[in-house]
Amino acid sequence: MPNVEVNLKDMQKLVGKKLSLEQMKEAVLYAKGEVDAVEGDTLTVDIKDTNRPDLLSAEGIAREIRGRVAKGKGVPEYKVKKSGVKFFVDKNVQPIRPKIAAAIVKNVKVSENFLIQMIQLQEKIHLTFGRKRREAAIGLYDWSKLEQPMHYRAYKPGEKRFIPLEYNVEMDLEEILEDHPKGRDYAHLLEGQKLYPILEDNRGVVASMPPIINSQLTGKVSGDTKEVLVEVTGYRQETVNTALNVMVSALAERGFGVYSVEIVYPKGKIVTPNFAPKKASLSLAEINRISGLGLGKKQAIELLGRGCYNALAKGDKIEVEYPAYRQDILHPVDIIEDIIISYGFDKIEPTPVSVPTVGAESKGAKTAKIVRETCVGIGLQEVLTFTMTSKERQTSKIGLDLEKEQFVEIANPVSENYAVFRKRVFPELLEFLSKNKHCLYPQKVFEFGKTLELDKGSETGVVEKDRLCIVLSGKGAGFNTIKGVLDAVTENLGIEYSLKESDLAFLEKGRQAEITAVGKKGFLGEVSEKAKQSFGLEQGTVVLELEI
Amino acid sequence: MAASLSEIEKKTLKALDSSKAKSPEEISKLSGLPIDSVRRALQWLKEKELIELRENQEACIKLEPAGKSSLRKGLPEKMFVQALKELGGKATLDAVKKKSMLNTPELHASMGLAKKNAWISILGGEKGVELELTGLEKDLLEGNYALEKALEAAETGQEIGKNERSELLRRGLAEESLKVNRKALLNQNGGRALQNLGKAKQRAYNVQGAVPKIFIGKKQPYIQFLEQIRAKLVAFGFKEMASPLITQEFYNFDVLFQPQNHPARSWTDTYQLKQPKTGKLPGKETVSRVKAAHESGWKTGSRGWGYNWSKEIASRVMPTAHGTAHSARQVVAGVEVPGKYFTIARCYRPDVVDATHLIEFNQMEGFIVDESFTFKHLLGMLKQFAVEIAGAEEVKFFPDYYPFTEPSVQLSAKHPELGWVEFGGAGIFRPEMMLPLDIKEPTLAWGIGIDRLAMFKLGIKDIRYLFAQNLDWLRNSKAVVVE
Repeated sequence: MPNVEVNLKDMQKLVGKKLSLEQMKEAVLYAKGEVDAVEGDTLTVDIKDTNRPDLLSAEGIAREIRGRVAKGKGVPEYKVKKSGVKFFVDKNVQPIRPKIAAAIVKNVKVSENFLIQMIQLQEKIHLTFGRKRREAAIGLYDWSKLEQPMHYRAYKPGEKRFIPLEYNVEMDLEEILEDHPKGRDYAHLLEGQKLYPILEDNRGVVASMPPIINSQLTGKVSGDTKEVLVEVTGYRQETVNTALNVMVSALAERGFGVYSVEIVYPKGKIVTPNFAPKKASLSLAEINRISGLGLGKKQAIELLGRGCYNALAKGDKIEVEYPAYRQDILHPVDIIEDIIISYGFDKIEPTPVSVPTVGAESKGAKTAKIVRETCVGIGLQEVLTFTMTSKERQTSKIGLDLEKEQFVEIANPVSENYAVFRKRVFPELLEFLSKNKHCLYPQKVFEFGKTLELDKGSETGVVEKDRLCIVLSGKGAGFNTIKGVLDAVTENLGIEYSLKESDLAFLEKGRQAEITAVGKKGFLGEVSEKAKQSFGLEQGTVVLELEI
Repeated sequence: MAASLSEIEKKTLKALDSSKAKSPEEISKLSGLPIDSVRRALQWLKEKELIELRENQEACIKLEPAGKSSLRKGLPEKMFVQALKELGGKATLDAVKKKSMLNTPELHASMGLAKKNAWISILGGEKGVELELTGLEKDLLEGNYALEKALEAAETGQEIGKNERSELLRRGLAEESLKVNRKALLNQNGGRALQNLGKAKQRAYNVQGAVPKIFIGKKQPYIQFLEQIRAKLVAFGFKEMASPLITQEFYNFDVLFQPQNHPARSWTDTYQLKQPKTGKLPGKETVSRVKAAHESGWKTGSRGWGYNWSKEIASRVMPTAHGTAHSARQVVAGVEVPGKYFTIARCYRPDVVDATHLIEFNQMEGFIVDESFTFKHLLGMLKQFAVEIAGAEEVKFFPDYYPFTEPSVQLSAKHPELGWVEFGGAGIFRPEMMLPLDIKEPTLAWGIGIDRLAMFKLGIKDIRYLFAQNLDWLRNSKAVVVE
């Protein structure tokens, strides 16, 4: 959920209404936004819709709420003039990063708010809609420093040199990927390529190396910039067009002039940006089936208008047009939600659900309840530990071979303390006891929880077991104590079991046994001196663990 | 008062009565205490003014050595008659004397008594005076002799007839003495003490004093909370779904129409597994429909995401990232219509554990499905949850976003103590998700931030206490009650 910083006064100007801070907080709800923080005039808005890049700037949020709180109706119209600028796309960039879209924005009046918003929007699009620049990478340039026509083509790593952004020395393309911070961050996007994409002007002056970095000399918008070139590269024309539309329509919201460019591909050419509204059609019945609002046609059309749609009744249907910067509308339900938002969630009377159904706990929950009650009945304190743990705690710390034991294992652990799923519960309870040595003894604890083991035959490659683990610690806690507990528990649960002498490394020799109970396995015995030592436990400690 | 009584005093007290005085012997019998103990206890109870002791003097008769000897061997007159009988019922006085071994005074006294009682007659004859039994001696010999009985009664302290009594004294078989009888009766204090006996323990304790702490068996507080929430959902008519810890990405994302290149599916947002890597996908038809929905919208009227869906990515397994994965599994397996489903699921997200973040936490999620449901029912259900589960006074709804619901809504609830809190999210499952699974009825999905509610109920500020590692805290925790 991206956070967008906006300025209250800037927002008031963009909305066209002097909303108070409180009114503004209410109003951003229409853009699925929530004001998380206020510092002076700066509001941090959490935009919940990760599929709406057009809402990731002050201009976009203002546009979305304008029709709902102030004036404005239908699809916003942005005039686009021809710039006469051409972008030639070389054949050799096609296998690498084939698509590009661009526009030039003129009569720019650079203000602090504008600069902040433009750079913020670029970054947020990169992160969300652009999938970390993979699907869409945006470049912004001072157009006065470039000469048309532009060329988008690929070069060998050593063939081209330029000064990357925030540097003062020329580097070749390989050096940029290896040494520049952005190069290192995004090098994986060009992995395996022999040629790297370059955008340059007619003189061979480099504008950028998409999707990595701009040139320090041309790819920088500053306070003096009057004309801005906006360019987006990626793999799909629709995606780069949308990103461009979002970017440029935000600039157009500030009243700057938008000029189109011609993209000349090896085969065919297109003109970008294209602000022609997109079309969809939906029925009033469908609107009411989902919303339950019982709307009339006229009302639905009115609500659509306030949400930046053009709408027209046509027979049974309502034909709608929506802005070109919106790529999130996949299905009529997406439009219906906008109708409900325009209607106002706070104006809807909730309808109680009165359809009768019969409830039931899961089998697992029922069993868990009985097992827990049994353990509580014999005076044990229940403990809840994590199912994720460290490999050491599950192996070497209790005397097992770390190399030999196989676990359901995390590929991207944040900490080694949570790197595998536990196979046994009791090491977690020993860890618990080790943290509570200052508490009064005897300490009698249990946990009924899941353990995971690898299992090729199962649906997920994992078998999940519900295991009861009981640990008693204190003077006189010996094999017979825990066997008595086993008897009491199994008798109450109606489980028949048999015991066999065992030789488990984490239990004392001659004071342990393996449990077999209706096909389910377990063990009980006195915790070995070694395991006790590694958890710093001094008192006699016995354990029982059984799958149930 | 009662608390300061010893054990024998208590037992004695219990054997007493306030209307009928009882002797130590009676009390001993009733209480099972030795007579000496009873006597001691009565003395103490009297000093404590719990009983009244009544004393009376009674004349009683006590056997003299001659009496005792008669009791053992028989009275002389009986021995006299006995001897005569053994001599054939007729004999001289000398023969009787020899046979009976009585001395002369006893012999003469016995003969006088025998004559008087007409047990014998005296005959004159050739051999001198002879004695002969009359037949009336029968009672005597069969033990039916009043004086003999009186002897026995004197020995055992029983009542004796007036004539026999004077006869015993006259003949020097017994002697008269005075005996003091004590009988005990409960007074008013004693009656009260008796009533209090059952209630008090042993001796008086310092009631303010510290006693050893008892650690009872307890369920973990968070578990107590979850069990009660579960019971509420069941009461609302919800069926609980299974919630495995490991799931295929197919259920965690793909069924939920989350495109495979979505940032939420990235390395930083979800845990991925080193092993195992992949699991199995359901039937071909389901998989191909989900694929088509992602790529082009299938027959749902959607444009789809427009990319090439990969079966390999969908079959990867991962720790469940959100409870909705279990709803996805349920809708693939099939649902009842109308139906209500929920799960309380352990979920995993990569993060650094601190006071506000866990990598392992619970989510409560579910959905309801029926032909009649609309967005207004979604709000109605959320309001019911907020009121019934969180005790909310007021609710507010805001637009929200989830990749798998449209429309989507966020619920804020005004809690009497916490104020406005974000309580949960909900929405109607997207057609791209439901239609390929042949579910045409509106399906209202919801999720509730159960951990935050638990923290409030348990009175904790640090979320790690949901999995508390502090035994003292667990031992001292109060029973959790969800109203």
